[in-house]
Amino acid sequence: MPKVTINGRTVEVEAGTNLVDAAIKVGVQIPHYCYHPRLSVVGQCRMCLVKIDGMPKLQAGCSTQVMKDGMVVHTDVPEVEEAQRGMMEFFLINHPLDCPICDQAGECGLQDYSFKHGVAYSRFQYEDKRTYPGRERIPLGANVLLNMNRCIQCTRCVRFTEEVAGTGELGFFNRGARAEIGTFPGKELNNPLATCVVDVCPVGALTSTRFRFAERVWYLDKKPSICTGCEVGCNITMEHRRGDIKRYKPRFNVEVNDYWMCDYGRSTFERYKLTPRLTAPRLRAAGSNGNGHGYTFTSWQTALDTVHRRIQEAEGQGEIAILGSGFLTCEEAYLFAKLAEGAGTAQRPVPVDLGPEWKIPRHQRPPIKGREQAPNRRGAELAGLGGSAEDLLLGDAASRCAVLIVADSDFGQAAYSAEAVAKLRQAKFLVVFGWADSPLAQAADVALPVAHHGEKDGTFVNVEYRVQRFERAFPPPGQTRPAVEALGDLLSRFEEGWSNLTPGKVFDRLAGEIPAFAGLHWHDLPATGAALNVSGAAHNLSDQAAEAASEASS
Amino acid sequence: MAFERVLTRNVGKPEALTYKGYRQLGGYEGLAKALKMEPDAIIDEVKKSGLRGRGGAGFSAGLKWSFIPKGKDKPKYLVCNADESEPGTFKDRLLMEFDPHQLIEGCAICCWAVQANTTYIYIRGEYTKAAAILEQAIKEAYDAGVLGDSVMGSGFKLNMYVHRGAGAYICGEETGMLESLEGKRGQPRVKPPFPAVVGAFGAPTVINNVETLCNVPHIIERGADWFKAIGTDEKNTGPKLYAISGHVERPGTYEYPIGITFREMLEGCGGMLKGRPLKAFIPGGASAPILKADQIDIKMDFDTVAKAGSMLGSAAVIVMDDTTCMVRSVARLAKFFNHESCGQCTPCREGTNWMELMLKRIEHGEGTERDGQVLLSICGHIGGNSLCALGDAAIGPVQSLVKGFQDEIDRHIREKACPFPHRRYFEN
Repeated sequence: MPKVTINGRTVEVEAGTNLVDAAIKVGVQIPHYCYHPRLSVVGQCRMCLVKIDGMPKLQAGCSTQVMKDGMVVHTDVPEVEEAQRGMMEFFLINHPLDCPICDQAGECGLQDYSFKHGVAYSRFQYEDKRTYPGRERIPLGANVLLNMNRCIQCTRCVRFTEEVAGTGELGFFNRGARAEIGTFPGKELNNPLATCVVDVCPVGALTSTRFRFAERVWYLDKKPSICTGCEVGCNITMEHRRGDIKRYKPRFNVEVNDYWMCDYGRSTFERYKLTPRLTAPRLRAAGSNGNGHGYTFTSWQTALDTVHRRIQEAEGQGEIAILGSGFLTCEEAYLFAKLAEGAGTAQRPVPVDLGPEWKIPRHQRPPIKGREQAPNRRGAELAGLGGSAEDLLLGDAASRCAVLIVADSDFGQAAYSAEAVAKLRQAKFLVVFGWADSPLAQAADVALPVAHHGEKDGTFVNVEYRVQRFERAFPPPGQTRPAVEALGDLLSRFEEGWSNLTPGKVFDRLAGEIPAFAGLHWHDLPATGAALNVSGAAHNLSDQAAEAASEASS
Repeated sequence: MAFERVLTRNVGKPEALTYKGYRQLGGYEGLAKALKMEPDAIIDEVKKSGLRGRGGAGFSAGLKWSFIPKGKDKPKYLVCNADESEPGTFKDRLLMEFDPHQLIEGCAICCWAVQANTTYIYIRGEYTKAAAILEQAIKEAYDAGVLGDSVMGSGFKLNMYVHRGAGAYICGEETGMLESLEGKRGQPRVKPPFPAVVGAFGAPTVINNVETLCNVPHIIERGADWFKAIGTDEKNTGPKLYAISGHVERPGTYEYPIGITFREMLEGCGGMLKGRPLKAFIPGGASAPILKADQIDIKMDFDTVAKAGSMLGSAAVIVMDDTTCMVRSVARLAKFFNHESCGQCTPCREGTNWMELMLKRIEHGEGTERDGQVLLSICGHIGGNSLCALGDAAIGPVQSLVKGFQDEIDRHIREKACPFPHRRYFEN
């Protein structure tokens, strides 16, 4: 592999690596706007100019590749700094000074580089700024808004729609200083990945209608998380202010979602706002119709005692069933499975809804696809749940149940459907865990408020059997507790050894027990997740991917 | 002056427009001879002749051809650059309108030399007449067997197409032209890779100017030594068309051996208009820095003009007399470059716009004293930093204005108005 020296530091890189990427390896940041690792190199922002020994002119770092040994590059010499100052001046002369009302302020490439490479005064004092009258608020599609005045013509968005989304709705129109971005006549930027153009836009020209004016970005707390929209498990940054989630942004993971995520996924945090929250354990008085009357709020202690007693009394009165959920973390699913084992029941299905096919493009690999509208059906099944939910949701299995425990009040559409709720309500005693006060939770004899995925730590297993960890972003409200704690308390009422559980402890225990997770530890789970070993007939899962693979091979 | 016209020898002979007439005038002899030669021998001959590209850069044509990879794994293309759109340039138009077969012959020889089977003549959209004449000539050449499946019976296949541009200066930049030819937005590509390796449709491509290719039949027919004898020195050889415009008595396209002095050229076109004194002249089209009257004895060849701080470029000579306002002239050129910048790269897009606004302001008498320095600094930021050569072209006239005519800028600023009589309204 060829060696390149950048600012006196030598590094070995793969032949064909461009200088922007090579510089990152030695800790040198070459400023750039138009370059994006997943988009074609156009070398047009000219911000990444560097000096290369032996070349008469400055060269664009993004379009210069390291091909053989001996290239010596400087980014901290006066010529380069002067060129960077010049480019910054060019960018800024026609850029509006509307940072105070611009959504991008605080995470704006122009602001950052202006501080780092620009000058504090303007020589553009007598001329008028170029503006695009009437093009300050152009809805390109449902989710993206264009303010042409702020655009720096890097064409990342155009290249994104052409090269990654493959839909090509955006184009670069007109010439010279009047060049502008827009949609082609009769087209709208409505592809499933449309909001990614907001992420690739280095300035505030493209803003998300969902996040627009929602929050100043410096007030946002950011935590690495996983999207729960589907089984792909896109890595995201959950950005919230005091527990109020403002947006999901894709987090780079080359194995899963690369730099992208879909618009549907970005919208999924809104379910936490649209659905009322369950914030205290709630008991339903006998004979109540569940229409809002006849509830008593109680303590966790009482609620769990009640559940414990009913499970113990169930013997002889009927079956016990657990209705799992694809939204459970692996740890929660493991504990529910333990509960099911203790109660001696095989009825522990994980129902998930199927949606349209979601597809996230990946670099040099086929896109990752998912259809299930829940992030962790595979993890839940590996952790010990599984089976068909048909009897419970469509048949009359619930009527035979002395105790039916629903693990998630928001496990799918059925939790909101009157028929399905009526089917489940046939159980003699209905326990519902969950964050949402869904119709199902309202029908429950005991509704137990547990944290949603922003409020707990945990792991999900995605469509490709990659186990990924996410972090708690903010504390749960009211008496809500992470389900792992609550289940620990419930399990320790039956036997010793389940108190003071944390997701980490549960995961390590699970990893020691379940072969697919063998060798994994909570604390050294890689940031990009770990591929699980599920090859062969080790599991009897109704796995779509496996089915698809066998179909393809036959 | 005893100089035998070479490129324009058929101008004024209407029969040259037809295939038959062109043959009678001795045409296609070069092609016939070339087809009997080895392709590499042709490249060597052209290299030896010292023919330099007539489009502006002055790069050795033979060397350019030799960069084309050998072998048949990919198709190869010749693209003839007939997108002549630099202000003041009108030499290729003459060649295409009066002697189209000469160009076809040149293209055919070049194709044989690099073993390309397809030629695109990318012609400026505004040249409707030239395009029609070329298309007619190509049709005749097909009928006569000069083009088609077997060029003059040699078995060499060659197709030729005329592609009309849609009116953009930037499509005269070679990679911008290729993008446009491929049906994309005409804007330059990042180089490397150069067109000789990855050109039109991803295949190796030679791109030559019309005048360059028109020289080729004569080199093949009469030999490199004959060609080398014309011109200043080893590096500046052959006949050259000069498009003279501005304040002269008889503007037009003139053919001279390369390296004629500007004074002789001026005499050849009847001297300055109404005998007024020369103030300045642009030796090579809108992008060349302006030379002052004291350079009147300069030899108009690539290297001498470059040494004088300008460039021969496309040899479009624009002559200005003492009534010319240099600020206004340069502002007009800046307007052109601002209008024609593709908008892709930052320095060119923003810089040319700023320069135009600033020069306009100075011309309107609203300049400030530091404007000259700011202009130079903008030029410094554009120069060498832009994606293609348009940025470098745009700063040529501006730099020479600030460096050579600072006194005029100062007068504009001091008098708060343009000191020259306005011949026409500026915002044309």
